[in-house]
This record gives sequence, C-alpha cells and structure tokens, in this order.
Amino acid sequence: MNDNSALDTLRDSLSTARDSLTEVHMTMPLAAIERHGRTARRRHKLIGVAGTGAVAASAALVVGLTGVTGSAPAHSTGTIRTAAFTLVSHANGMATLTINRDVLLNASTLQSDLKQDGIPAMVTVGSFCSSDPAPADFFQVVSFQPRSRDNGPTMTINPAAMPAGTELSFGNFQLANSQQTSFALINTGAYTCTSSAPTAPPPSGVMLSYGGGTSPR
Amino acid sequence: MEFAEFYESTRDDCLRIVLLNVGDRQLAEDLVAEGFTRAWTSWRKVRDLQAPHAWVVRTALNANVSRWRRHRHEVVLGSHDIAVPADQGAAISGELVAALRRLPLRQREVITLRLLLDLDTETTAKLLGIAPGTVSAHLHRAAETLRSAISHPDDQEITK
Repeated sequence: MNDNSALDTLRDSLSTARDSLTEVHMTMPLAAIERHGRTARRRHKLIGVAGTGAVAASAALVVGLTGVTGSAPAHSTGTIRTAAFTLVSHANGMATLTINRDVLLNASTLQSDLKQDGIPAMVTVGSFCSSDPAPADFFQVVSFQPRSRDNGPTMTINPAAMPAGTELSFGNFQLANSQQTSFALINTGAYTCTSSAPTAPPPSGVMLSYGGGTSPR
Repeated sequence: MEFAEFYESTRDDCLRIVLLNVGDRQLAEDLVAEGFTRAWTSWRKVRDLQAPHAWVVRTALNANVSRWRRHRHEVVLGSHDIAVPADQGAAISGELVAALRRLPLRQREVITLRLLLDLDTETTAKLLGIAPGTVSAHLHRAAETLRSAISHPDDQEITK
C-alpha cells in the first residue's frame, strides 16, 4: 500500500468515526459565546489600560489586578511576585516560574495564579499526584533552567504544549532541612495521590530538593 | 459571512472533530466554545482565513478551558437546547480513535487538519505556522503510528 492510499484509508476511517457522531450537537447557544467574547474583550482592554498608565508600579499593580479581574486572559503579560514565588507571563503565552528556595510554598495561591495565566495545575503541599501511565509530553511543557546557589527552581512553562485533558502536578514536601517538590503532567480524569514524599522522580517528571523553607508564603 | 451564520453552520462539525480528539463530551464542548469565543473576538481576521472552522478546531485543541468550567453551570441553565448526556463521548470506540488521542498534540493537529478537515499541506502549514515539509513529516509519523495501532491493537491499552 503506498502512502497516498494509506492516507486515504485513514481518512475514510476517521471520517466514518466522525460521521458516527451525528447525534452529538453543540449545545452552547450563540448568545453565550458572544457574552464570553465581550467579557474577554473588556478584560483585554482593562489590562492594556492598566499596563500603560502605571509602569513605575507595574509589579504591585499586576498583583492587584489579579484579584480584581478574577480570571486574566491566558496570554496577558505581567509579573506576579510573592514571597514564595515569582510568575512572569510572556506575550507568547509562555510563563516563567521561579520558586523561592527559602520560603514555604503557598499551594492555593500558586495554583490560582497559574490558572489565571492559562496553566491548569494541581499544586499540593504534603502530597503529590501522578498518572500511570503519565502523559508523555512533560518535557515539551516544562523546561528547567540551570539553578544558582541562591535561587530555587526556575522553569519555563508552555501551556500550548499541554495535551487536552491534562494538567500539571506540583507536589511539595517540607523535609527536615529542605524542601522537595516533584513535577509531572497528569491526566485530569485519571490520577492518584500519595502523602509520602517520593523517593525518586516520577515517570516523565522531575523531583527537586532545595533550600530550607523558613517562613510561610 | 456573519459570525452567527458561521457558528450555526460549523459548530456541530467542530465539536465532533474535537470530541474525536479528546474523547470527553463536556471537555470537547468547553474547548470548542473557547475556540469560537476567540474567533468572535478576532472575527475580522478569522473570517478572511481560507478555513475559519479549521482555525476554531486548532484553537480548541490548544485551548485552556478552566474559565468555561467555572461558567458551565450558568451556561447550561441559560441554554434552551436539549442537554446531551455527559457520557455520550463514551460511545466512540475503536483502536484508531484511541490511537489518535495518544498522539502528541502537533501530530494530532496535523492529522485533524489534513485528514478530517481535508486541508492541503500548504494551508495546514500556514495555519500551524510551520513549514510544509514539517507538516508532511508529522503526517507521515502520525499515520505510521495510527496504522501500527490498527494492525496491532493489543500493543497499547486505553487509559481513560
């Protein structure tokens, strides 16, 4: 079978599968699409105005805006800086996350800020969630930068590379003299969690130990 | 073409194609809704594309849908359409579709645009922002994987 006829066979098979879904209809009314579109457009304008008018206080302003807007657009730019982490959103949709090695992680804050940046994530302290088998794309989604002595982990996250139905899992454990965080990609509908600190990196993931964690958030 | 006409004429087909890719009925609808929302906000640009519905599908496959999950309850109550059971996607079966869902995102995009939406290589390359040769390479690799999955259905198991 040559390439063209093989592709034709695949095309026919996929078309048959699609045609078997004739009973499936999009239930979302047009009005809901337009309403969400208007909301997104207003949000973009709000972010733009805020960014133009307050350069000097940009870091603080972006942190404030996060609370005001509730859900920022996936590709807005800006920096969220807390004691425990710094999250920089880039115009290309990617984000850079730096975790402070000396401050204990506030899981709900980081999870919320990642989601507002278009990055679905499950951030936990004292447990770690993983899928078996794990989605294989973790290293296309997260790339770690070399660590310096003074900094905790720094990583670049590309949410566009995340397969549909997946999210990131960050599991942080406070150990006697350090923190340990495991990173993986999980299937949203199929994962298990453990409250024991992993002793090895998860399959298709990363485990890092760093710092001491001396003060909350 | 007006957006309303575009939405009414393409929404079901977009949903079915995304559903083949993700296998979850509600997730597929959230993703497609996000794709159409972005098309609405950029309609002047999107309507002039060669295949606006392919743009919606591609955007849906790349979208983050957390905000739709938050709004789902409100949207369902506001809809006058008949609700579809959440497990309808479970009716889709077959090794080919299961193998499609296991493909890396880029390969799934290429298979979807080239084989399900019948775009040519040039149009697919333009839509994905990659070289035509890269489209062909992804298509070849993905087709090999799919053919292998059909030939050896017991080699891999479906995890979801």
